[in-house]
Formats: sequence, C-alpha cells, structure tokens
Amino acid sequence: MSKVKNWQLGREVEYPYDESRPKRQWAIIFDLNKCIACQTCTLACKTTWTSGKGQEYMFWNNVETKPWGGYPLAWDLRILEKLGRQDWGKNGEYLGKTLIEAAPPTERVLHYAPTDEDWMYPNVGEDDCAGAPVDSGGHVQKLPHDEWMFYLPRTCAHCTYPACLAACPRKAIYKREEDGIVLIDQSRCKGYGECVRACPYKKSMYNPYTRTSEKCVGCYPAVEEGIQPQCVVNCIGKIRVMGFINPPWKAREDNPIDYLVHKKKIALPYYPQLGLEPNIYYIPPIHADPEYLHQMFGPRVDDAIQAYKQLVDDPVAAGLLCLMGSSDRILHRFAVEKGVAIGYDADGAEIVRVPVTEAIYERSAFDAGRGAARHNTP
Amino acid sequence: MSHWKIALMIAANLALGALPAGCSDKPAKPAPLKELLVKRVSADLSKADPGAAYWAQASGGDVSLLAQPMVSPRPEKATTSTLSVQAVHDGQRIAFRLRWKDPERSEAGRLGEFSDALALEFPLQDGPLPPVMMGAKGMPVHLFHWRAQYQRDHEKGKPTIAQLYPNVSIDMYPMEFKDAKGGTEAQAEAFSPGRAEGNPQSYSKTGVDEIVAEGFSTSSVLEGHGSLAHGDWKDGEWSLVIVRPLAIDGGSKLAVGGKGNVAFAVWQGGEGEVGSRKSLTMAWTPVIVQ
Repeated sequence: MSKVKNWQLGREVEYPYDESRPKRQWAIIFDLNKCIACQTCTLACKTTWTSGKGQEYMFWNNVETKPWGGYPLAWDLRILEKLGRQDWGKNGEYLGKTLIEAAPPTERVLHYAPTDEDWMYPNVGEDDCAGAPVDSGGHVQKLPHDEWMFYLPRTCAHCTYPACLAACPRKAIYKREEDGIVLIDQSRCKGYGECVRACPYKKSMYNPYTRTSEKCVGCYPAVEEGIQPQCVVNCIGKIRVMGFINPPWKAREDNPIDYLVHKKKIALPYYPQLGLEPNIYYIPPIHADPEYLHQMFGPRVDDAIQAYKQLVDDPVAAGLLCLMGSSDRILHRFAVEKGVAIGYDADGAEIVRVPVTEAIYERSAFDAGRGAARHNTP
Repeated sequence: MSHWKIALMIAANLALGALPAGCSDKPAKPAPLKELLVKRVSADLSKADPGAAYWAQASGGDVSLLAQPMVSPRPEKATTSTLSVQAVHDGQRIAFRLRWKDPERSEAGRLGEFSDALALEFPLQDGPLPPVMMGAKGMPVHLFHWRAQYQRDHEKGKPTIAQLYPNVSIDMYPMEFKDAKGGTEAQAEAFSPGRAEGNPQSYSKTGVDEIVAEGFSTSSVLEGHGSLAHGDWKDGEWSLVIVRPLAIDGGSKLAVGGKGNVAFAVWQGGEGEVGSRKSLTMAWTPVIVQ
C-alpha cells in the first residue's frame, strides 16, 4: 500500500498504487444553484454512449434530487453509513478513514454492492422536499430555506485515486496520462463487477449483454479534439464547464477550473472524505440545509457559499461564469478585460468573447416608423 | 464437548474408515489424493459425460481447497472445501470428472449474479513448476475454465436481453428497428463496446475457456484447442467433466506414460464468487498418465 497526497483531505491517504498524476486532469464544475434537472445532459450522454443492448438502464450522466433521490438507490447513504464517522479537523484536514483505509483485509475498497433493482428507478425521489412540512410555508422567507431540495447532476469523477481502478483484479482499468480520464479496457474486462462494487459514486455499471462493466468515458474523443463533453455542451442552463484542473501547488489563476476551485474556492468536490480525490466540483446550493451540505462537501462549504454570494461584485469571477456554456471548446485560459470575458484554447488562440453584462436596449412601446406597436409576444 | 468424547469420535471415524468397502452400504470415502492415476479407457471421450460407465472404475480421490489467500479481493472462508477428482484418457484426450457440493445452481446473467465455475490449471512449459496460483512471469500456466454460464451459452445460446429480463420493453436499438430495415450487424455491434473490441467475454462461449496466465492479473483467453465440458447439477452437487487433448501445441502437454501436474479452483456463484474470490488447491497434484 502506498501513501499518496490527497489535497482535498489535507493529508496523505493509502492507495494500492503510487502517486502518478496525469499531465492534465479532466474536471467539470457544476453550479448547483442553476441546475433545473431538465435531464438534457442525461439524454445527450444516453444518445451518444448508452443506447445499445444491455445499457437500457445505464446513465453515465444522471441528475438526481437531493436528499431523497439516488441512482442507484441510496448509493450515498449506504456507503456513508458503512464508512462510519467522518470527522474533520479544525484546519480542514480529514480525521476519519477513507474507503481504501477502511477496507477489511479481504477487500481492496470498503464498498457495498448495488442490486440490479437499485438501478431501475433513476428518477426516484425527484422534486421531493426535505426539512419542515411543506404546508408550513416560509421556504422563501430566508436562506437557507426550511424546506429544501436541490438537483445533483453526476458523471464519473475521473478520480485521481479511482476506487474502480484499485479494485480491478485484472488491471483492466487505467487512467490516461494525457487527460486523467479513467477507462475500462473493453477488450480485457471480464465483468467481475469489482468496479461496480467499489466505486462509491456508483459510476461503473454492468452490461449484461456484453458481460463487461462500462463507465463514463469523459467523452474522450471530443476532449482529444479540444471539445467539451456532450453533457457539458448540451447543458441548456449553462451550469457546467469542463476543463483541466491542477493540484493546488500548480494552480494557475487564469485557468478557469483552478480559478473557481483554488483561487475563489467556490467549487468543491463531493464526498471528498471517501478519499478518491474526485474531479467533478460543485458550486453548492445556497438555499439547502447546511448540515447536509457539510456532509456532502466538507467543512469548506460555508466559505464557498459566502464567496459565491459575493461574486456579483467580482467582475473577473462574474466574467468567468458568463463564459460557462458560451463555447463548446475547452477553455484552457481566460481573461476579463473592460467588461468582456475572453476564453482561449491550449495554444492561446481566442475561442470566445462575451460581455460580462449584456447591453440593455430601451425602445418606445410604439414604433412610429412602421406604425406598429411593439410587444414582447410573438 | 469433552476431550474424551472427541477422542472417541475420532476413534470411531478411524475404525469406519478402515472398514473394507464391501462392509458398508455407502461407498468408501476416497482417500486424500496424493497423485492422480489416469487409466486408459476404450470409450469415446469426444463427449463430456459425467454419467458415463467408465467413471465407476476410474481412480481418483479428494483434494482440499482453501479460500484464495494471496490477493484481495478474496473470500473470508472457503465455500468449497473438498473436490472429488477422477480422470481417464483414451490416448488422445484426457477427461477429468470433478464433483463438489454447491447448494444452488448459479448461471449468472444479470448484474450481481455470478456463475458456478471450476478451473483446471496446468504448467504450460516443462521445467520447474510455476507458482500454483496463476503462475509467474516466464512461468506461464494453462487454464481450462468452465462456467455454468458458458455451458448455458453452448447448449442454449447466449441469453438475449429479453431472456434475462422477461418484462423488458424496447422500442429500438441503434441499427436494429422493429418496423424498418436496420443497419448491418457490424454497425449494430459498434454500439456494444465489448463486442466491438472483440472481447471473448462478450460472445457466446463453448462451455470451457482456455486461458494462459503469467501471474495475478495477467490471464488472457486463448483460441480454444477443442476442449469441452459438461456439468450436471443435482441435489446440491455438481458433477462436471472437462475433456482436453493430452498434448496441445503451444500449450500444456501430457503424454501417455508421462507425468504432469494439475491444480484446481472452484467458484460458487451463489456466494458472489468470481475472479479472485474463489476456493483453490494450494499445491500441484501430480498426474500420472498410464
């Protein structure tokens, strides 16, 4: 067992293989304050990747309602309960055990095995509220809301220390050096399902037709061409951005992902205490129950919410949020100059340019030139 | 239980074990297998038949299995502790009959369902014996891996989605439409990654896979050499026959009048066993082909 650096936990963690960070690490940031669970991402992924036999209930990207929803059923509760106490220290360091550290001697990863039926209700709990009784009113009176729910879109996190990779006895899972995307070798997998058991986020799935396990491929053919994944470019709410994240000691302020995660610290990994250094990051919902958010995002969530609320006064951060969803190309660098946000590709060429504040045009209700009234309905 | 009672039971067991077979209704329990004598039979071994008459005269014995202890994930206890082994040959082929207790027949199919299985392992080369667990780099082993799932493929065809999920309702798959002409088979296969990649696991099996390995995590399926298998499950026991050619070009070789070695592994699918979760023999058993 090796000791590897996990910056999300502020300490070294155990892992079966040595630390070997890729040259670039694929990452997505989701703004949970904007997601409306339209499932366009889910369908974009489904039609691209999982429309074949044995993939009928397979959603590499899904959107579930928190706290009641879960695909597969209660995946989060079941692994958190199994892991036991997850305490954090005063300086943000994790004091509990990770899934690898808590594994019994006979296993590589502490896990639970979802049943077939667990995957068959991808929309369970959708739109269900938690907190006070719904008829008590007042949920819009203050932040956070008494009655709350939020939508959680999820893909594979292409973890720095993937549990699926650690658990595969055939070494059929690998992490790409060029972009950190984690793939199951479809020519070597024998469908033992160890990755399906081991991944706590339950993003390895079994295909009973090919008798292999399959998972989100990070849209690597697109990424290789400098294009963001299907779930990102099809997001109608523009809540997502895909790019490459650096560890904090190599963070670059002009990298969109580094800026939101490391500089502004408003985007957080989910369930970091599981110890895998997942690489999907969430801007937490400002209205949801703080205790629940603590469990999901760790002790930095309060600061992240505060920082998010202040973005309105930060033209650079506001400009970056405007760039989200403004291009299908991967933004390697961004800049905000004179009220305009500009995105650049890997070679430094400009990809996209958007105003931070859209211009407002006021027109009279009557167009005298055409002799017609103007109105907003077609 | 007191010590003297245990002593008495041991004495009684020893006495029973010493009785000649003819003195009891039950057949004598075979002695632990030290080496496997393989007699020649003049029967047709081109079929795997666990109920064939020649098995009554075939020599053999029991081997003990332990929970695979070397690599995780591994079972906490041996789900199969004893395997009864016999073997015969016809000059060209060698047939092994293997019997073990398994309370349920498991053929796999859906997620979380695993198959009952057994593997025979042979050193692939002459010379020093490879490590019994999957061999080592430069010391390959040759495996014959039977699964109830593979047998089902061979005898009834690889199950369709509708067979696995009888209530499934599907409008269409890519390139396969109900009411219109679809694409070519190759175009449809592109949507099934395992098949598109030519993974043997994604195709119908012949009952037994031939595998070569040089250590843990290295096993790869080989082109088959005409080995075959058939198992019957009845009353909580599998009776399985695996037949392989005595000598395989580029593979493991046994010869009439020669010696070889074999090792065994058993998976109980109903207990969730697959891959490294298995019971196995911890030493090679010598094989003497008479």
